Amino acid sequence: MTASIFIPSVGFGLVTASILALAAVGFTLQFGVTNILNLAYGDLMTAAAYIGYVVNRHGGSIALSLLAGAAFGALSAFLLNRLVYTPFLRRGTKLFGMVIVTLSVGVIIQNTLLAIGGATFFTYNFSVGSAVHPLGFVFNTSQLMIIGLAVAAMIVVQLLLTQTRLGKAMRATAANPGLAQASGIATDRVVDIAWLLSGLLCGLAGVVLVLNTTAFQSTTGSGFLVIIIAAAMLGGVGRATGAMVGALVLGLVTEISAAYISPSYKEIFAFGVLVIVLLVRPTGIFTGAQREVAG
Amino acid sequence: MSAAAGAAPASAPVAGGLLTVDELRRDFGGVWAVDGAGFTVKAGSITSLIGPNGAGKSTVVGIVGGAVKPTSGRVMFDGEDITHLAPHDRARRGLVRTYQLSSEFGKLTVLENLLVAAPRQRGESLLTLVVGKRYWREEEERHVVQARTLLERFGMSEKEDEYAGNLSGGQKRLVEIMRSLMADPKLLLLDEPMAGVNPTLARSIENDLVMLAREGLTLLIVEHELDVVERVSDSVVVMSLGKVIATGTMAELRARREVLDAYLGE
Amino acid sequence: MNATAYYLTTLLVYLGVDIMAVWALNLQYGIGGVYNFAFVLFQAFGAYIAAVLTLGSSSGNGGFQNYILGATLPFPLPIIAAGLASGLLAVVVGLVALRKLRTDYQAMVMLVISVIATLTVTNDTGLFNGPAGLSLIPQPLSNVVNPSSVGYQWFYVGITFVICAIVYVFVHRVTSSPLGRALRATRDNEAAAEALGKDVVRLRLFVFVFGNVIAGISGAVLVQFIGAWSPGSWMYVETLVFLTAIIVGGTGNNLGVMLGALLVPVGFNEATRYLPQIGRPGLIDALQWIVIGMLGLVFLWFWPQGIIPERRRRFAPTPPGTAPVSGSAGSGSGAPLADPTVLGEPR
Repeated sequence: MTASIFIPSVGFGLVTASILALAAVGFTLQFGVTNILNLAYGDLMTAAAYIGYVVNRHGGSIALSLLAGAAFGALSAFLLNRLVYTPFLRRGTKLFGMVIVTLSVGVIIQNTLLAIGGATFFTYNFSVGSAVHPLGFVFNTSQLMIIGLAVAAMIVVQLLLTQTRLGKAMRATAANPGLAQASGIATDRVVDIAWLLSGLLCGLAGVVLVLNTTAFQSTTGSGFLVIIIAAAMLGGVGRATGAMVGALVLGLVTEISAAYISPSYKEIFAFGVLVIVLLVRPTGIFTGAQREVAG
Repeated sequence: MSAAAGAAPASAPVAGGLLTVDELRRDFGGVWAVDGAGFTVKAGSITSLIGPNGAGKSTVVGIVGGAVKPTSGRVMFDGEDITHLAPHDRARRGLVRTYQLSSEFGKLTVLENLLVAAPRQRGESLLTLVVGKRYWREEEERHVVQARTLLERFGMSEKEDEYAGNLSGGQKRLVEIMRSLMADPKLLLLDEPMAGVNPTLARSIENDLVMLAREGLTLLIVEHELDVVERVSDSVVVMSLGKVIATGTMAELRARREVLDAYLGE
Repeated sequence: MNATAYYLTTLLVYLGVDIMAVWALNLQYGIGGVYNFAFVLFQAFGAYIAAVLTLGSSSGNGGFQNYILGATLPFPLPIIAAGLASGLLAVVVGLVALRKLRTDYQAMVMLVISVIATLTVTNDTGLFNGPAGLSLIPQPLSNVVNPSSVGYQWFYVGITFVICAIVYVFVHRVTSSPLGRALRATRDNEAAAEALGKDVVRLRLFVFVFGNVIAGISGAVLVQFIGAWSPGSWMYVETLVFLTAIIVGGTGNNLGVMLGALLVPVGFNEATRYLPQIGRPGLIDALQWIVIGMLGLVFLWFWPQGIIPERRRRFAPTPPGTAPVSGSAGSGSGAPLADPTVLGEPR
């Protein structure tokens, strides 16, 4: 137990939290607005990472890979909703069946990637850059880039949600879809935008995740999905700000416990935090449990 | 003791009535949906809760039913403070509610919808696992007879084996009312029981409610149609902006200016 | 001849195990409306408990495996213990996951919990021998019947189906009783069930624990047959195979889900076993998963009720004379409510 590993482990925590925040905000936004638990989210991340990989291997820069991953994520999330999820909802599939629909879609995506790419690890062709030591932290340039990207994305999302009509409409829909519809907010358009935005963040998170872990395979995203869900639940599902805080908490808890106790237990500690929070406050930190609305 | 015993069940305190809500307040993110509402429902009466949209009626119903927690205030039922009881514990004490939206058990038949509501069933206890069917068969037969009597009374016998999810809106309403009666209620809390029901059936439901009250059941009804309210209610509670602004018979209320204003301002 | 018998018996044991599993998961998902995405965890936990209770002390076999609770209990105690242990674990998990949470939150919590469990097991070699899993698990009654004979294989098939039959008796007692009806009501409309006095949390907790006891038993029956078990074979997607079997066979119908177990987990494994290994390694596996995923989607789209839909419960007509005095049918003019048989007995 030494203080000298504390600051570096906080540093690692910030990197993990950045990736997690990108992913969790995308996940929670979409869930809040559409009420569909999209268990294919992690596999969509992997798919975006593959697209980024293909761009990278054809000589594209990391920036281009990020762009391609984000564009792919946005487009495929949008199409997934329009071509699969919404038709199932229209056909009368209940919340219940929808979870199985999304899980099946995830399994299909993951195994399609496996069938095309094979059961091997992939690595982007890039340099993590030299180590820098701001404030006693140890980062390489790639990690600084990840943190920078996440912070920028979070600021943009926050501004979008609080400052624009569209963002306010999204939050209103998340809080109460019926009421939002009654008060004339075009919910269909809001839903489309939510999927696009969620997919964009999902794609970014996918590329960034494999930049950080350096090697990835077809199961990388689905393995990460559970901690994304944990971060979203910690913050109260549907709350973007909550998901950011949840990501920060889980990122720090995993890396600090990895440094002080054992790396093999880091996720268990993260989930431990979640379980305790759920016991104390079943709907997450930032929400009030409400089933009926004023009328 | 069931409500059927008469207009004044022995267990209810005479002074307070069967249901008393006191100084209820509830905020939703800074907005007071209910802001100090209080009223009493007398045993054996039909009390209507009216008011314009957004007056806080649904929130009051939610609080009385137990689905919504009040920020402050008290709910007394049958001489007991039930403010903090779970909805199912309230139902077991005889306070049974229906919902504004159809809430049938869609994949259960009409008869099953009624049977499920019978209180304190042996067949729902874990001993069923150990003993098997003979533990609950007789009780079940009794419930089937009860349920069929209700079906006949409400003219729904022919729909007995129909999935409740396949019924028309009005028939679903009937199922919900019959189901509530199977639950052995002292007080029925009906949230817009005539909403989405065709006029003929609505009129017939109206007559049923009056009949139930005559037989000793207490009813608290949220209703929009003032004509209906006037025909069925012994007492009317008017809410506006989260507060109770008037109580009395409909005739008394019609004469009062602020009540009309609350409606005209809608 | 021997090879055929060996193949057939193995198939039948797997079928029995999968049938128990889909009955249990159908009770939770199809009857009770509980999304138990951690189902396979409870199966695996039962399997582990049965394994360590037959393996003997951890220092046996040269001490090459580390585990807890080493003992040599006679048949059928390890299987019973496995059911109880999984049930106990279900109580703990259920108290966290089913308390007042929305059902989609429950699904998320279940996913999280099954991943925690996998991580705990693979990272801790002291509990259940880590990622290597356990092997050399002795088969039950091997002192009575020679375990390497075809006769033993058939004997074990017998054991499996006897246990299946016992499990069915209890499953049927739930699905055919007012208890099952209350569960189905909760599934269809939670708030309305609550408003009628049903304790929804308790009902869910019951079906969750009960189903997971069966899950544990099924895992134990399997592990005692194959003699080995590793954590890699119980990732959460395995639960999807059972869910798909239920959807294909007929959600909410015990007979239907049995058919589903025959078609999906058993059928798929067998159908792909004999395919030539084309393409790169893992390709067949990947294709198999894609087909299972598609199968679920196709059924949810075209036949959401499955091959054998949930049975409509009809009741025998009331014999004349049993009914209380009833007037003419129609609203408001029928039997008086004051009749005690109408509103139940006085309290």
